[in-house]
Amino acid sequence: MAKYILQRLGFILLVFFILSFLIFMIYNMLPIDKAAEAAQNEIKANKNAQLDYNERYEYWQKKYGTDGNKLERYGRWLGIYPYSDGTYNGLLQGNFGDSTTGKTVIDMIVEPMKNTVFINIFATFLALGITIPLGIFCAVKRGSKRDVGVQVATLVGYSLPTFIVAIVFIWAFSVSLGWFPVGGMQTAGYINWSRWDQFWDKMYHLALPLIVMTFGSMGGMTRYVRSSMIEALNMDCIRTARAKGLREKVVIYSHAFRNALLPIITLIIGWFLGIFSGSLMIENIFSLNGIGKVYYDALQGSDNEVILALQMFYICISLFGNLLIDLVYGLVDPRVRVNK
Amino acid sequence: MAKNEKKKVSSTLGSWVKRLFKGGSRELSEDEKFAVEKIESPSVMAVKAFFRRPLAVIALVVLISLFLLVFIGPMYIPMDLTYTDALQANIAPVWNMRDVPDGLKDNVRTISGFGNFTVGVSQENDFYIWGSTTDNLTGEDYGAIPDSIQDGNVLTAASGSDHIIAITTDGKIVGWGNDNLGQYGYVKNEADPYLQMPEEFITGTIDPDSVDFLDCGYQATALVLDGKLYVWGNTKALLNMVDIHNNEDFQQGVKAVAMSNYYAVVLMEDGSVSTGGATYTLNRQTGYSSVEGKVKNTSAHLRQKKVVQMAATDNCFAFLTEDGEIVVTGAAKYGETNVPTLPEGEKFVQLVAGTKHFLALSDKGTVYGWGHDDSGQLDVAGSTASTIYAGAKQSYLVDEGGEVTETSGLQGYFFGTDRQGRDVLTRIIHGGKMTMTIGAVAVIVSTIIAIIVGCISGYFGGWVDMILMRVTEIFSAIPFLPFAMMLSYVIKTMPIDETTRIFIIMVILGLLSWTGLARMIRAQVLAEREKEFVTAAKSMGVKEGRIAFKHILPNVISVILVSVTLDFAGCLLTESSLSYLGFGVQQPTPTWGNMLNGANNSIVIQNYWWQWVFPAIFLAIATISINIIGDTLRDVLDPKSSQEK
Repeated sequence: MAKYILQRLGFILLVFFILSFLIFMIYNMLPIDKAAEAAQNEIKANKNAQLDYNERYEYWQKKYGTDGNKLERYGRWLGIYPYSDGTYNGLLQGNFGDSTTGKTVIDMIVEPMKNTVFINIFATFLALGITIPLGIFCAVKRGSKRDVGVQVATLVGYSLPTFIVAIVFIWAFSVSLGWFPVGGMQTAGYINWSRWDQFWDKMYHLALPLIVMTFGSMGGMTRYVRSSMIEALNMDCIRTARAKGLREKVVIYSHAFRNALLPIITLIIGWFLGIFSGSLMIENIFSLNGIGKVYYDALQGSDNEVILALQMFYICISLFGNLLIDLVYGLVDPRVRVNK
Repeated sequence: MAKNEKKKVSSTLGSWVKRLFKGGSRELSEDEKFAVEKIESPSVMAVKAFFRRPLAVIALVVLISLFLLVFIGPMYIPMDLTYTDALQANIAPVWNMRDVPDGLKDNVRTISGFGNFTVGVSQENDFYIWGSTTDNLTGEDYGAIPDSIQDGNVLTAASGSDHIIAITTDGKIVGWGNDNLGQYGYVKNEADPYLQMPEEFITGTIDPDSVDFLDCGYQATALVLDGKLYVWGNTKALLNMVDIHNNEDFQQGVKAVAMSNYYAVVLMEDGSVSTGGATYTLNRQTGYSSVEGKVKNTSAHLRQKKVVQMAATDNCFAFLTEDGEIVVTGAAKYGETNVPTLPEGEKFVQLVAGTKHFLALSDKGTVYGWGHDDSGQLDVAGSTASTIYAGAKQSYLVDEGGEVTETSGLQGYFFGTDRQGRDVLTRIIHGGKMTMTIGAVAVIVSTIIAIIVGCISGYFGGWVDMILMRVTEIFSAIPFLPFAMMLSYVIKTMPIDETTRIFIIMVILGLLSWTGLARMIRAQVLAEREKEFVTAAKSMGVKEGRIAFKHILPNVISVILVSVTLDFAGCLLTESSLSYLGFGVQQPTPTWGNMLNGANNSIVIQNYWWQWVFPAIFLAIATISINIIGDTLRDVLDPKSSQEK
């Protein structure tokens, strides 16, 4: 097991370097020259000082670490290659860059990060709580009218893109019925309220986005749970269990579900990571202050260093998820370890 | 039962006897016939099984009709990408924009239209309105005629883009519709740039016989009483309104006024034209967006002639001179200056204009039309009439008795219009073509990559497999939506034309979505390569590559087929999501995704429902039917899953 984990860790690290290099190269295709901008600004600000542009440009290049070839710059950005003055100041040292708004990227994303993580975890639990029982029910009663009904509904559910579901739900529940706010995170003036009221106000604003996220993911998940459960129910051990005279409940929940759990775990982790990019859409539609909104606004406002940092964040999340899936698989399925 | 058995026995006996004397029979019993028929190729069986499922057949029919609609439709319904028309923006689905009401049909006195709706007054002094008469944002209903307007008491009426002015037989001037910009009644805020309707018109009455002329511009109205000109409304809608209002020359001798979207030109009784102030000579006022030399010529030319009629589209003015010549000036975008040449001896006697087209009548009674013809406004050209009228995009021909003989032009918008005034149906058809093309190309790219990687990796195994699978893992670790958005953002900053950009988006979608299929093919190939036919092929000395792609690949084609179908739906969704966020195909090129881009605020969601409902329905129908087909294919191609059922 230890060897397996090490192997996976090594590979993930390799993928991280490959992808970060790829991202950095794509980022470098943008027509930006931070040092030139800084030098020009400086010369404009100190008109009397008669500054030499080339000299100042070189100075800023050294300061920002943009001198040297692309590989050196990549190393500096990651924090594994020293700047001209011998210091390290990159991602590994916690320098994620600065936003055009003047804040550092870290300051910009702490609060949205909390929101995004909260929304995603909440939505995951909500979706799992509905889809797993529903999927099991459909698998057990497969072929029945109710199963067919659920199948059709889930097919429609996963055929619709999230934004259409969101628009329809906004139209139905916010605009027509007026049950939920159309967007935003809190009512104006909430600062003066008690903590409890603030929490409920937030939940009230998050209700519709969470419903949409849950609804949007229900279709695919229910089908997945159903098919893996059907596969598990067809196993020989289930026939044996039934032949032994075990109660049907025990057969389903204790024997079959455990076997079905393996693919479901993959799904849950993969899906949990997927909704980080999925919540990008939701956050923008409902104007929630989350990572996805920050990323979107940065793209719209050409806030390049924020884009780069968040892109790395999405990649890290994805790599971490892949690692987690591998490890959990190795943990619950002995065959994986032996084969490798 | 017993009878049947008896029959069977006798028939068996009979066949024995037959065989005994006639030799071996070639007739087959029922069972044997079935046994022969049962030997069908798996693909035929799959097709039959597919067509036994009504849901799948319906989905297939729907999908094929959608394909036909979006790929053949654009050939018959062309789309002008650069077209926008603020006057046609946000119109709800409507199909009666040129249906002259029955009461008006045979006794027309006047017809006037500027935007979404047209008004008319009959010779019996009845008022009629038709077209899209509701403003969906404000809820303003232009069809809600005020109480002071009753049957038989309307002298004349004119409509602007969002207001109507009518004069009753007892001299009252009535306005309704939007009054926020001073279109009628009192101005709400004196500081606003609006000219108020004269006080005496609001409270008092006028002499109905003194009405020489009434017309409405975009948000402005011009009224001539006994040669004296009155103008009011939004001064931003008519940039020389204040000058006209203050000009002493227009106290008497005014004959008519023509209003474009920006300026007004006044025609005097003596046949001269004027734009009001010293600063607004005719050159200046129309020369803003026209070819300089041409405008100067027009002005000089008109000074020597006597103008008898004028008409204005949204950007151009046309003048009809006494000797039957028509001179057009202004920013002609759709050929408004291409006045047709008349046959010898014929001359123009009447001139009217819609928002983008002109109609003229010759002394022989023939109708001529020129300008924009996107909705068939000019179809009436060549017919005969005694009077002609023009709505915004409609043409009406009327004979001597006041009967409408022919109409042509915009009938309406089946799915409404978007915020730029473009027809939603046309955009859905063209957008569908774009969405489907992008989805198809992306799927083809991803499938080709997946087949190559999957086959090579599965068949050769070893270090090739190791490397290819690691590459697959790297690609599958890329978070799709954020990465695609960043790539699209980077591409946007490059100087690439739109077609190349769209092509790059297709390739990006394909490059990011092949990993799942590649893994699936690899697993299938791994299972297939252990089978006997592969050993046989190897022993016969068939090349490795040939075995992988020619012998094994056909055996995994069912997996590929299912996956391609489902991936196609997936690509439609990702494309529309990207375009919805504004990182896919850019406006004005439509796709089903970016048509929904406007629907991200509650105003559009609530008031302009047709702008998002129809594209969403088309997208949903397409993806749902593709998914149904894919699901059914999987069921019928995989014997294991059909046994389950």
